Amino acid sequence: MAQDWKSYEPLLIPDIPNLQEIDVYEDNDGYKAWKKVLSDQNKWSRNNVINEVKAANIRGRGGAGFNAGLKWSFMPEPDGGPRYLACNGDESEPGTFKDRKIFEYNPHLFIEGALIAGYAMKVDVIYVYIRGEYISWVHQLQKAVDDAYEKGYLGENILGTDVSMEMELTYGAGAYICGEETAMLESLEGKRGYPRTKPPFPAQKGLWNRPTTINNIETLANVPLIINNGADWYGNIGSEEHPGPILYGISGHVNRPGVYEYPSGVPVLDLINEVAGGIRGGKELKAIIPGGSSTPPLRADQLEGVTMNSDSLKDAGSMMGTAGMVVMDEDTDMVEVLWRIAHFYKHESCGQCTPCREGTGWLEKVLIKIKNGEGEMKDLDLLLDVGNQMEGRTICALADAAVWPVRHTINRFRDEFEARCKKSAHAVA
Amino acid sequence: MPEVFIDGKRYEYEGDHMLLQFILDQGLEVPFFCYHPSMSIPANCRQCMVKVGTPVKDRETGEYELDENGKRKIRWFPKPQTSCSTPLQDGMVVHTQETSEEIERAQKDNLEFILINHPLDCPICDQAGECPLQIQTYKYGPEGSRFEVKKVHRPKRVQLGPRVVLDAERCINCTRCVRFTEEISETNQLTIVKRGADNYPMTGPGEEFDDPYSLNTVDICPVGALTSADFRFKARVWEMNQTPSIDITNGKGCNIDLWTRDNEVLRITPRQNPEVNDYWMPDAGREAYEQFNENRVSRPSIKLDGNNHSNTSWNNAVETFAEAIEAHDPKDFAVIGSPHASVEENYAFNKFFNLLGSPNAIFTPHIIPGYGDDFLITDDQAPNTNGCRLINLDEVDENGIKTAIKEAEIVVILSDDLVGREVLTAEDFSDTYTISLATNKTDTTKASDLVIPITCIAEHAASYVNINGRIQRSYPAKETKYTNRRLNLEMSEGRLDRYGTDFDNWVSEDNKVDCLPLWEFLNHLGDRLGLEFNFEHSRSVFSELSDHFEALENVSYQKMDEEQGVQLPIENTEVKQA
Repeated sequence: MAQDWKSYEPLLIPDIPNLQEIDVYEDNDGYKAWKKVLSDQNKWSRNNVINEVKAANIRGRGGAGFNAGLKWSFMPEPDGGPRYLACNGDESEPGTFKDRKIFEYNPHLFIEGALIAGYAMKVDVIYVYIRGEYISWVHQLQKAVDDAYEKGYLGENILGTDVSMEMELTYGAGAYICGEETAMLESLEGKRGYPRTKPPFPAQKGLWNRPTTINNIETLANVPLIINNGADWYGNIGSEEHPGPILYGISGHVNRPGVYEYPSGVPVLDLINEVAGGIRGGKELKAIIPGGSSTPPLRADQLEGVTMNSDSLKDAGSMMGTAGMVVMDEDTDMVEVLWRIAHFYKHESCGQCTPCREGTGWLEKVLIKIKNGEGEMKDLDLLLDVGNQMEGRTICALADAAVWPVRHTINRFRDEFEARCKKSAHAVA
Repeated sequence: MPEVFIDGKRYEYEGDHMLLQFILDQGLEVPFFCYHPSMSIPANCRQCMVKVGTPVKDRETGEYELDENGKRKIRWFPKPQTSCSTPLQDGMVVHTQETSEEIERAQKDNLEFILINHPLDCPICDQAGECPLQIQTYKYGPEGSRFEVKKVHRPKRVQLGPRVVLDAERCINCTRCVRFTEEISETNQLTIVKRGADNYPMTGPGEEFDDPYSLNTVDICPVGALTSADFRFKARVWEMNQTPSIDITNGKGCNIDLWTRDNEVLRITPRQNPEVNDYWMPDAGREAYEQFNENRVSRPSIKLDGNNHSNTSWNNAVETFAEAIEAHDPKDFAVIGSPHASVEENYAFNKFFNLLGSPNAIFTPHIIPGYGDDFLITDDQAPNTNGCRLINLDEVDENGIKTAIKEAEIVVILSDDLVGREVLTAEDFSDTYTISLATNKTDTTKASDLVIPITCIAEHAASYVNINGRIQRSYPAKETKYTNRRLNLEMSEGRLDRYGTDFDNWVSEDNKVDCLPLWEFLNHLGDRLGLEFNFEHSRSVFSELSDHFEALENVSYQKMDEEQGVQLPIENTEVKQA
């Protein structure tokens, strides 16, 4: 399927003018899936919706790639108390900027997906945690939510049924850590964004200690497609292991950076050369970061035959992440790139766990030293060693995300780092 | 019974336990910083890592799967686990730093991280000697540091509130202080500001950390980041003696330690007692240390004209007291006991005047309705109101005291500043001969004709009954002019007691108060008057007491020592509101 990507018609962000308006969305089969579910709740029982999504094998688009339907099934049986769905729209990892496209061009698709998910998990309130800097999209999404309330798709007794759900928007204040699912829950509760230790997992104890599921915006936008067309249809889009449409955010040294919708499994080099118009200035490709800054970079010579699906990227030595690809040309200084990434993680570490709080700063400072030509060869080993001391020893994965780029950039571009360090060697008279 | 294997040894357990606390309860050791048994578990310092595995069970039979050697197959967690946040499971296998090189290395790595931005200046840090980071580094830390770049410098000497000073550069972000204000004192006055290595605890903008329990954060800070504004740089722990005692500033009777150096009390800290105060105490109780050192009544004094007092000898004081007694009918005495004095003092005091034929001693509780909270501060401002009731002193209100004084020819007041706390005015006893037996100079001693200095709680052994009916005891922490530190077996030993020489000269004569324990002074007075009144020690006063009062049956100093106080069968133990 992935080879057919050129003839693919976008589903998440179709080329329909003013689709953000509820009337236009309705005219284009909008809220059809939601009505379908509500009008035949026997056929579309909660379990059947979950099973359909599970069968579609949609994997979370937030980066971790966990099976979304399976995640929904972790919610315990209702006990009469409140239950929540928390939608993660706090994308802020360098290279990742695809949810904003949904907020801008198709917010109702996301709302509809969230409602179906909320119905399947019997939630009472859907919280949308949206990046505060996305201010115009915040307003746009709020308008879409208001319109959905007005039309009766949201609120008490939705479309005359006994299903009721509320949706509320919450704005992030510019902390990357608040995109981590449990830190997001803390932030939603009005606290400092510190990740929580697991277990208990959010499905057991989430918001205010009640069952909660956290899904990415793009993941939820896929749900109406699955309900309208069926799991089989969905499973045939893109690669088998990681099916469905993907929003590829391509940035860096390409002629046409942007967000493009194609099936999963598009060859990496096709994405760069054909979708994004090739390397700007006719230069050579040097490296890519496939899915947001935490995913290990790949050298150009590692990309032959690699496609954008998690298995293929794993075999190549990286990860799919959020499919936010950063493309770098031959003039790119990998030492500078790594320093900038390390700076980001140092700046965004919440500081709760010792290895992350201290390690991210240490990594950055050593990289600054190397960048300034003051590094020594032993510093490269020190960076790798400090990374080993951080990985797997913290509450959340931010430390891991900070370590992987360091480890893999040094290993894959070691000669560049060594050259920088050797400069500082003093000639012996 | 469920079992767990720690470093190859088998332990049985019942109920739910977290691994770290269970390990500590077994007397084993795993280093930690952020964990505190009375607060939530954030698992943020990452120091208490251990290797954990659980046995593999056959899904169908529920039987343990065995390896080729017939031993249980263990499924190891892929990463080291923080033991503080790991619940015990039946059959769990745990390796600490004792038996796992991986864990030993992980703990060393973690300490290397903590130390990169922490100043390594233990010799000048105020926490030296009491610093868990210092101890853990010595035991489990790296030999040196590979950190050769610039440290983060966070703010120094930040006055967070009236009593607490922050040196943020030392903070390791364990969040114990923040959690204390959220979970224990519930004022939510502290939070963490900034991010990453720039983190430190702070109050809200424009707010000050004036929590009435703020100094507890200093006790639980595992590094020298939070210090007491009052005690900061005043003394080193290893040059002080630590003596168990009871907080006398309110009716709760928080268990405390008195820290003395050179015969002065310099600091008061809480002593753990789960039945009374857990690990905590109010700030007001800590500030009481000054009254043990300053403004003391030292040497007996007699009032001259007006309000001037003149010091006199002990012989003359006894003679003057005896003559005053002999010149009047004992029935015309007003004998006023005190909820601020110990059970022993009130008993000996009352017994003495009963022997003379005086009326039973009266007392008035010192209660300010609404002053207390639901935690460790009580409306009752005195430590021993229930003790006075227990030994049957007559409880009267302010009018009762006034009437008693009006009808009396001689008034004897034990350690209660009745003028200062506005029960009486100085004029109320201007026409009667007034004798005060007191520890500190007060408005009452100023108005008295004869003042006898007696020992305070920091100088004698005594017991107090708190508002919940728990009797608890104190130990002498300071010498007076007439005590010998080495002969007085009640006194605690400090480093200089054990290792010092006679030439250390560490106890200045100037810091010794010229006073006597109440029972000892009454012995002298009794001798002069020919009374059968002779106690050898506080202990002998208490043993007589326990024979006299049913509630104290089977209570002894030894039992109070062993059980950190004894709960008495006292009915309706809460203090009655005035």
